[in-house]
Amino acid sequence: MLNNAIKALKANTLKTTLIYLSLIFSIVSIFLISSISSGIISMYSSMLKSDGDIIITQAKISDTFFSNVDIKLIEKINTLSGVKNVSAMIVGASPVEALPIVAVYGVTQNRFKNYKLISNNYPKQNEALVGKAIYKHLKNKKIITIADKEFKISGIFTSDIGFENGSVVLNINQAGEIYSKSASMIMVNSKIDFTIDKLIKEIKTLDNNIDVKSTDNFVNNYNQFKIIKTSSTVISLIAFCMGLLGIVSIMSITINQRKSEFGIKRALGIPMRRIIYTIMCESFILGFLSFLSAFFISELALYFIKNSSHLQGYVNGEITSSLAFSIFITSILMALIGSIIPALNAAYTDPVILIQGNKI
Amino acid sequence: MIKATNITHYYNNDLALKDINLEINKGEFIAIIGESGSGKSTLLSILSTLLSPSSGELTFEDMKYKDIKNIDKFRQINIGFIFQFHYLIDYLDIKDNLKIANEKASNEEIINLLDLLDIKELLTKYPSEISGGQRQRVAIARAMVNNPTVIFADEPTGNLDSKNSLKVFELFKELSDKGTTVIVATHDLTLAKKADKIYEVKDGQL
Repeated sequence: MLNNAIKALKANTLKTTLIYLSLIFSIVSIFLISSISSGIISMYSSMLKSDGDIIITQAKISDTFFSNVDIKLIEKINTLSGVKNVSAMIVGASPVEALPIVAVYGVTQNRFKNYKLISNNYPKQNEALVGKAIYKHLKNKKIITIADKEFKISGIFTSDIGFENGSVVLNINQAGEIYSKSASMIMVNSKIDFTIDKLIKEIKTLDNNIDVKSTDNFVNNYNQFKIIKTSSTVISLIAFCMGLLGIVSIMSITINQRKSEFGIKRALGIPMRRIIYTIMCESFILGFLSFLSAFFISELALYFIKNSSHLQGYVNGEITSSLAFSIFITSILMALIGSIIPALNAAYTDPVILIQGNKI
Repeated sequence: MIKATNITHYYNNDLALKDINLEINKGEFIAIIGESGSGKSTLLSILSTLLSPSSGELTFEDMKYKDIKNIDKFRQINIGFIFQFHYLIDYLDIKDNLKIANEKASNEEIINLLDLLDIKELLTKYPSEISGGQRQRVAIARAMVNNPTVIFADEPTGNLDSKNSLKVFELFKELSDKGTTVIVATHDLTLAKKADKIYEVKDGQL
C-alpha cells in the first residue's frame, strides 16, 4: 500500500511538488512565527525571572516602560526577614549612532553579574557597558552617546538572553537622570524557606503606590505577551488554512485526473474505504516529508535570524521538542484533513464513467 | 445464472432500455450488438451491477441483485471487467496492475495467467512500455486474475486492429469453453459471430 502510494506520488511529479511546497511554506511559517514569538516571550521572561521571584512596579501602570517606583523602597524591603536580595532596573530606549532604537538598562550594581564580561570592566559613573551585538555596530568604539549624553564604554558583555546583547547597561542613577524616574521595577529574591505569597503581602504594606506580583504571575498576565501569543496563534492559523487550501485544491485536480484509476478500482470491487485510505496514505507521506523539510529549513532560518547583526539579537527563536511535536501533529492533520474531500471524491467515483470512455 | 426480467432504465427522463428479458447460462459466450447509443452499454452496466435499473428484476444464481449486501465483495469474487480503453494504472507495473484486482494472487499465479495470454514477458513492464494490443491483453488478464464467474467486456476491441481483435475474441471463446461466462458488448457483427449467442439491442429493446 505504502509502496503504491509512493509510486502514485512519483507519477504526478508536478502536482506532488506543488502540494509539497505548499505544505512546506505553511509549516515553515508556523514554525517561525511560533518559535520566534515564544523565543521573545521566553527571553523577556528569563530576564525578569533571572533576578527575582517578585516584581514590584508602579500601581495601575500596565507596562514596565512607563512604571516609576521609588528606589528607596529597596532599603525597606531589605529589612523584611524573607528577603534574600533586591535589585532595581530602569527599562528605556535610545537611538545610538545610526541605530534608531537600542534598549538601555539602568541597573543596580548587584545586577551587573547578569551581564558576563567579555572585556574590561563593569560601568562606573559616566560609563556604559555595551552588549556584544551592539558593539559590532558602533563606529566609535570608545564613546557612546545616549540621549545626548556621552558615556565612556567600560566593557563589552554577553548574555544568554539574546536581545540583551543588543542593549546598553548603565548605572541606575544615571539612567534615572536620562529617563526622569527612580526605577521601572524592583525585583526581589526570597529565601528558599519563605513563601512568596507571604512576602508579597508584607511588601504591599510598605507602599500604597506599588503593584507587587510573583514573577510567574507577572509574566503570565503581561499584556504584551498576550498580544504576541494571540498574533502568533492567528498567523499560525492562517498559515494552516493556506496550507489546507493548497492541498485541497491541488489534490482535487490530481484526483480528477486519476478518475479512471479510481473508476476501475470501484468496478473491480475495491471498497471505498480502501480508496480513501490510499489517498490518505499519499497525504500522510507528503505531510511527513514536508514536516521534515520544514523543520530543517526553519532551523536554518532561525540560525541566520539569531546571528544576523542587523537584528542585534532582538529576534530569537528556538524549536523546542514540544513545539516540534505539536507542529508535527499539525502538519499531519493539515495533510490528512486537506485530503478528506479529494479522497471522498475519489471513493465515490462512479465506475459507469469507464463505459463512457474518452469522456472521463 | 444471470436472469433479467422486465428491465427498464431511464437517464433522467430519457428511455434507455425498455422491458428487457434475458437469461444467460453458466459458461456461455454472449455477444450484445447494436449501434452506438442503442443501449447495449447500459444493459451491460446493469447486468454487471455497475448501474441499478429504473425498474425490473435481476438475479445472479437465483440471488436478487438488490439483496446483495456487499456489492464490492460480490464484484471482487464474481465479476471481471474489460473496457474499450484498458484503464491500466500507468505508474504500476503489469504485476501490480493485476494485484489491484486480486492482491492475494501469488506471483506464480500471475505469471501463469500472463503465460496463458502469451504475455509473460510483460510482468515487470509498465503500461507505457507495451503496445495497445498487449495492454488490452493485460486488461483481460486483470479481469481474470480473481477467477470470476462472469466477465463483462464493453467494446473490448474498440481500440485494436482486426488481427488483435480476433485474438481477443478467440481468447473469450477459450475462456467460455473453460466454464467462464463471457458477455461482450460490441458493434462488430463479424466478431460477435464468434459468440455462442448474439443479442441485438435496438432503440433500447432486445
